[in-house]
Amino acid sequence: MSAPTGSDPRVEQAPVTDEALLDSHDKLLGRQPDDKAHYRLLPLNLLFLFSGLIFFAGTYLGRYAGHFHPSVFNEHGQPPKAGAAVAVAVDPLVLGKNVYGQVCAACHQPNGQGLPPAFPPLAGSEWVAGSEERLIRILLHGLQGPIKVKGTEFNGAMPPVGPGSGFNLNPEKVAAVLTFVRKEWGGIATPVAAAKVAEIRAKDGTRPPLTVADLEKIP
Amino acid sequence: MTNQSTNAGAAEVTAIDTHARWPLLYLIGAGLVWLIVSGVLSLIAAIQLHSPAYLAECAWFTHGRVEAMRETAFIYGWAANAGLAIGTWLLGRLGGYPLRGLNWFVVGGVFWNLAVAAGLIGIAAGEMTSFAVLQLPRAVQPLLVLSYAATAISGVLAWSGRKRAGTFASQWYAVAALFLFPWFLTATQVVLLWTPVRGVVQAVAAAWYAEGVFALWLAPLALAGAYYVVPKVSGRTLPSYEAAPVAFWTLIVVGTWTAGRHLVGGPVPAWLPTMGVVGTSLLLFHFLVLAFNFKIALTPAGTAMNFLRFGLLAYLLYGVFTTIASFRGVAAHAQFTFVTVALEQLGFYGAVSMLFFGTLYYMVPRLTGRDWALPGLASAHFVTASTGLVLALVALAVAGETQGNLLLEAKATYAEIFQQVSVPLMIHTAAQFLLIAANLLLLVNFAMSAWACGEKACASAAGLLRSSSSMEASAS
Repeated sequence: MSAPTGSDPRVEQAPVTDEALLDSHDKLLGRQPDDKAHYRLLPLNLLFLFSGLIFFAGTYLGRYAGHFHPSVFNEHGQPPKAGAAVAVAVDPLVLGKNVYGQVCAACHQPNGQGLPPAFPPLAGSEWVAGSEERLIRILLHGLQGPIKVKGTEFNGAMPPVGPGSGFNLNPEKVAAVLTFVRKEWGGIATPVAAAKVAEIRAKDGTRPPLTVADLEKIP
Repeated sequence: MTNQSTNAGAAEVTAIDTHARWPLLYLIGAGLVWLIVSGVLSLIAAIQLHSPAYLAECAWFTHGRVEAMRETAFIYGWAANAGLAIGTWLLGRLGGYPLRGLNWFVVGGVFWNLAVAAGLIGIAAGEMTSFAVLQLPRAVQPLLVLSYAATAISGVLAWSGRKRAGTFASQWYAVAALFLFPWFLTATQVVLLWTPVRGVVQAVAAAWYAEGVFALWLAPLALAGAYYVVPKVSGRTLPSYEAAPVAFWTLIVVGTWTAGRHLVGGPVPAWLPTMGVVGTSLLLFHFLVLAFNFKIALTPAGTAMNFLRFGLLAYLLYGVFTTIASFRGVAAHAQFTFVTVALEQLGFYGAVSMLFFGTLYYMVPRLTGRDWALPGLASAHFVTASTGLVLALVALAVAGETQGNLLLEAKATYAEIFQQVSVPLMIHTAAQFLLIAANLLLLVNFAMSAWACGEKACASAAGLLRSSSSMEASAS
């Protein structure tokens, strides 16, 4: 069975055969008859130690797992109470500023000064300080063709940004951005109501972009 | 004891070994070549840490890609090949019959290595995935699964068709590794590559996979070797072996729950990192039982035992240190520093690779049927490799400690921090040189041994041919 090939002392010798290895260890697991009664239980100290580790693990988990809540990110945190999230109101000025930065600022510029000849300014514009209903409709339907702002003629095309448009802002966001723009550059503190935006949207449906002539028909 | 005579002889060689000689030697050889490739890549990566301009103009060897290639060559090239060879050999020996399905084994091995080679080229070209430990490009991932399945057939057949009902710890670990790896590899491929989950769940899945590669695949294969060679060489039964099944199941059940420790401070629910802490703490039981089982590994002499002792000690230290580093207070300092790298190296290189080396030093003479061709190189390998590894780990740990403290100071810039730790990083580079040199010693020794064995096999085959033709001549 074997082929001894020299006797280098550095090659590891194997004093036990595979059979003997399996036998002796099987015996320890209690799978083989053991005539000499060498059975041993799992050492008690190991058992205690394992129990201790499990106890620690359980305690630690109970204390620092954030009640296994998916929205608790801090090990000391508490899960939010039911309904607590509803009470948090979003400041329309903060939301409006956000939306303005993402949607409007590219043309009207972050400072609201616009970019002639296509993009009229919002800062100090008589339109911004004027009718709320006109502004809502500009955002919902867009605006096309020449328009005079602060005595200068501008000619561009503003796309609609409301629900169903490319930007798909919901009524709340449309109201928020208008609130922000009117407060910042029109000096009007009264917020635009999201309900009013939704109402106008429901009444008008979708239509092609407005012109100045259309705007002037709106009160 | 049927083969008392071999006790005095060199290597006990059975028909099981000679039958599977070339397939197993092929996998080991391929693994060793990948080990050198990975060593060279990690040398390049180490140099770039203190001299960022090195190879910076060559896109294929920028730091991110070199690091990804190093890791991939090490895990899927070296560790996978060597681990599969060791696991299959152990299952064959302990199963009691010569290995079956070896043609599948060879075909799988060839395609696995082709997949890894293609994958490395893909990574160099910038096609890697964005997940650590799973960086092989998407295109080679299916081939990885198929070739693995083919390679694993021999081991599984040896397990299911074993001679005795009773089983030994080596068999549990080897079989678990064979079956668990394809499970979590395919599961991870599905949720990360084919139908990717969204957002933060990706990070959780990637951490789970990376932990699985160590705890459910490579560590079990390495432990299988240790559980076999230590009692064989020492000639004694393992103390406290009754607890070994509990240690095994602790690793299998708890092993991947430790993944949460990589996510401390990340945008994940708090229970995931907490579970990581709990997992590593529970895993201490596994390490403790191993320490009891391998008490007898302290005394026997020889290269194999030297490597196994080093590997087992590194494995125990890995268990202790990961537990400490998993706690949030420590993680705040250690995370994203070289301390994490040092810990990973301690696990993958210090524990897994050194245990593989030890098992190979025992296994290869039995496969070739002769002693190592150059026994002097074996002990030189141990001295060089252990020196290089200790040097690398200490240097990384020191660098990481400094780095961790500086990162928490808002005033220190990133470039300043790297200047502060440049000395330990240069020592780390020197250590990488040592490791390449060490592994070249093993590769040369292995090649010479396999060559000598091949020559003998050719000679005997020629002799067989001659005798059979003369028989034919006499018959006619």
